[in-house]
Amino acid sequence: MSKIREIHNKLKNKEVTCLELVQEKLDLLKLNTHNTVNSLLDTLAIDLAKKVDAKIADGKEIGLLEGIPFGIKDVYMVQGTYTTASSDLLKNYKSSYTATAIQKLLDAGAIPLVKENCDSFGHGSSSENTIFGAVKNAVNPTLVGGGSSGGSAVNVAKEYTIFSIGGDTGGSIRQPAGYNNVYGLKPTYGRISRFGLMAYASSTDCVGPIAKSLEDIRIVLNAMSAKDVKDQTTYQSESISKDVVLLTDEIKTVGYFKNFIESEAISSEIKQSFLRTIDTIKSKGIAVKELDFFESDTLVSTYYTLAMAETASNLSRLDGTNYGNRIEGKNLKDTYSITRSENFSEETKRRIVGGNQVLSQGFSDEIYLKGLNLRDQIAANFEKDFKKVDLILSPVTPNNPPKIGDSLKDPLAMYLSDAYTVGFSLGQLPTLTTPKGTATGIQITAAKKNDELVLQFANFLNDIL
Amino acid sequence: MMTVDILSSIKGAKESEAVSKLFDAIKSANVNNIDSENKFKNAVSLDDLREDVVLDSSTIEKEIIIENFPKKKNGYLVVAKVIEE
Repeated sequence: MSKIREIHNKLKNKEVTCLELVQEKLDLLKLNTHNTVNSLLDTLAIDLAKKVDAKIADGKEIGLLEGIPFGIKDVYMVQGTYTTASSDLLKNYKSSYTATAIQKLLDAGAIPLVKENCDSFGHGSSSENTIFGAVKNAVNPTLVGGGSSGGSAVNVAKEYTIFSIGGDTGGSIRQPAGYNNVYGLKPTYGRISRFGLMAYASSTDCVGPIAKSLEDIRIVLNAMSAKDVKDQTTYQSESISKDVVLLTDEIKTVGYFKNFIESEAISSEIKQSFLRTIDTIKSKGIAVKELDFFESDTLVSTYYTLAMAETASNLSRLDGTNYGNRIEGKNLKDTYSITRSENFSEETKRRIVGGNQVLSQGFSDEIYLKGLNLRDQIAANFEKDFKKVDLILSPVTPNNPPKIGDSLKDPLAMYLSDAYTVGFSLGQLPTLTTPKGTATGIQITAAKKNDELVLQFANFLNDIL
Repeated sequence: MMTVDILSSIKGAKESEAVSKLFDAIKSANVNNIDSENKFKNAVSLDDLREDVVLDSSTIEKEIIIENFPKKKNGYLVVAKVIEE
């Protein structure tokens, strides 16, 4: 059941006022102990809610998203609000403009409630790399909320927000969605503008929705998608209609990567439940093909090498000159390096240093250019696969969420835990986490720009699982 | 050759063992030659660039930019002397 439609009807029928709704959610967010909140946008939200109520009182029609409360990962610019990227460097930074994707939601009348906790600059898979305290899992608070959009996924799962906007570079929407049993979509790269999203790795950064129902994912995706002159990698896409998503009989063949399932790293529980789901799909008359793919360590290494190179470049602007928590040194260069050493987390420094290593003379041919070449091969492999199958299915993660504290001890293990998500990021493919089929969900991936196929199959899984 | 701490503008920055293992995996991976047909196509077409025009920021945008200055004097941003070496 769509939460957005349910609330829309309640507002229209005057069963609840928008102000009551927004105040209830703000109270829940304020009192919550999952560390999901970096800052509340209470003044703005209450002001907007009163305007929606006034419109309803005047007997005017309201749009579907009008008055719907939502959350925003704290890496999106919203004019006049703190945008910290969960970092010391930007803990007092205020956005001077608003991200295109968020502006589109504001234009549709949705009400922003909260800037949500996440891994600093998106650097992490657990939402523990943050100055606001580790995000606690919605189901079991001793476990991580997942990352990097952990606060967003937990807020949706706990119904503190009706939907939230996450950011996904290598799995940062899909993995926390899986860890908290909600839907999370990474659309095709370029479907939604990145303008106003703090850049991590620009060639895979994607804006996407997290929600409790598939219909809400569709509604929010449509609201944010468009070509934007401020992001030249965007393309114009067609709106996905509700009726098209219901056409579940168009999918004839799906595939899955044999080596993902045969890997020693996958838990037997996730492996068995994934294979049971495959059997159920087969029993409904859909052909299932086993596919060959790159080994997990190659995928993870390619992704992290390229992402580190891009983040080293993107974060080089953060030196405390024009904004940020500047710490004065004895001269300009000293000021730069003290500001960056004192304000970046250990994980962020690890990635910047790694990125500068691969981009430096002597390393770039052997590692960076080879990484780019591997990316070409991964993308070519996907193209070949999508000639054989309509969709690719995979688990979201090899294991259940770890305990809070465990991921920070072993960065390499954390990187390897992203094995099932990063490949689709490198391919820039649309991929949805659906909270079905395994304890941390199933990923449904289609060829580029075939986002509607992903939603169709998720709808089909809803019917059969 | 510049060291990673200089390259990164991070005092005391060191190479990480975990990251080195990622690089080792790349070094040992098999790479086939990709023909130009299958090269990653992600460039923006020159025919599709936005107009190169100056757009003035709004007053509120300018005010917030100034509010974000780490150090200011008489409404101006204060920075260290740039030419020192």
